[in-house]
Amino acid sequence: MVILSILILNKAGGLIYQRDFNEGLNKLSSNDYLVLAGTFHGVHAITSRISPVPGSGGLEVLESDQFRVQCFQTLTGTKFLIFAEPHQPNIDVICRRVYELYADYVMKNPFYQIEMPIRCEQFDRQLVAYIKPKQ
Amino acid sequence: MSFYFAIIGTKDNPIYECEFGTSKQGGDGIARWPEDQRPMNQFILHSALDIVEEVQWVQRELYLKTVDRFNNLMVSCFLSAGNIKFLLLHDTKIEDPIRQFFTDVHEVYIKTLMNPFYEVDMRITSMVFDARVRAAAKKYL
Amino acid sequence: MSNLNAPNSPFVPFSPNPSIQSGVPTATPPLSASKPAQLGSSNLRYASSRKSIYDRHLNRTQRSELSKASFAFLFGEMIQYAQKQVSGIQDLEKKLNIQGYAIGQRLLELLLYREGRSAKRETRVLGILQFIAQTLYRHLFGKPADGLEKSREHEDEYMLIDHDPVVNSHISVPKEMSQLNCAAFVAGIIEAVLDGSLFPCRVTAHSVFSEQFPSKTVFLIKFEESVLEREAVLQ
Repeated sequence: MVILSILILNKAGGLIYQRDFNEGLNKLSSNDYLVLAGTFHGVHAITSRISPVPGSGGLEVLESDQFRVQCFQTLTGTKFLIFAEPHQPNIDVICRRVYELYADYVMKNPFYQIEMPIRCEQFDRQLVAYIKPKQ
Repeated sequence: MSFYFAIIGTKDNPIYECEFGTSKQGGDGIARWPEDQRPMNQFILHSALDIVEEVQWVQRELYLKTVDRFNNLMVSCFLSAGNIKFLLLHDTKIEDPIRQFFTDVHEVYIKTLMNPFYEVDMRITSMVFDARVRAAAKKYL
Repeated sequence: MSNLNAPNSPFVPFSPNPSIQSGVPTATPPLSASKPAQLGSSNLRYASSRKSIYDRHLNRTQRSELSKASFAFLFGEMIQYAQKQVSGIQDLEKKLNIQGYAIGQRLLELLLYREGRSAKRETRVLGILQFIAQTLYRHLFGKPADGLEKSREHEDEYMLIDHDPVVNSHISVPKEMSQLNCAAFVAGIIEAVLDGSLFPCRVTAHSVFSEQFPSKTVFLIKFEESVLEREAVLQ
């Protein structure tokens, strides 16, 4: 399995974490990442509004022939975007696990300010330790 | 038989004291010290502290038994892990009941210590503590 | 209560009953008047179950465990609380140390009590350090400490090693505070146990980075001179 990249968005649509796990990805400028996050946030909001089915939670998966984006939104509105290969199985399990690591190593860190960019060594370390062996 | 009991903190400061008599053999649990003896009790007990400080490095038990004598009076000591000294002045040589008494008081002391508002070396003003100590005295001494 | 306030109140110098203390005697009354302090007549407040801390058994929670997550949140709050009132990193570590100190004082008594009749006070440096590395560590973290070393350069220094302190497991210290190690809290516990057993010392926590154990922490224990002097005499 191949995980390409993980992004975390705060509830206002700001990018608070981004990390690539694969070589050969297009390098975007940090500004582009912010635009990507903001755009996705907007699209997500729109999809949840204009869905033909009432009570829809919004965009969950976005697929192309190159990659697939899985979006997992927590109850508080934080979004986890996982970029993976098109036919990646069990991606929802990975989402859950990343959420768990976020809860453990970001939210329990007394030095982290909520909604701000994540700079937590422990989170980085645990995330890499989880994703790397699966690649 | 009369007893005088005191708990001495880590800075040689008294944190609790009381006196009582025996409840065995029909005793009524009331201390009957001669009038001029009562003020002396504190001195006798505190002068035993020097000896406790010597004995505590030789003996590793908590109960140090009788450490000091003054005329016909004896001072028994029980030393807690945190260097709180439980001292009992008594006039009859009884080892085991005193050990049991100390063990009970030690337990009640630790319970006091578990109170987050109590700090080491603070005077113990709890009435429940007082009642428990007297109950232990009544039970064993 | 009123009879105890009367001028003929018994002389009980350090009695827990405040009303007795206020009646410091001028003439000592007859001893037969001495009464045990009365229960329930004080301003002491009871829990709704009418049970006080004295009704709880000390061994009741001996084997119970605490959720690590709830501890992490509590400890996080403690750090944030301490951070509000300090000016620098050293100050913050000092605050954490003090918070731990109160726990250490209590644990020392409690752990020895739980050893029952075979309990022995520690009188030697190695003995008390073993107690900390084994008994205390097992009680707190469910594992013994990962190492105990004597400093080569300084006679009065010992090092207690923890490869992955439980208290730090959810904490990432920001770069601008890289000097900080929140295990200062544990250092406070250790210091209290040593101080309480009459081994006065300073205990500080230091991060020692290693590839294998990224949050490895060394507790540096520096004893006061008097401890070494006594140790020499005891030998």
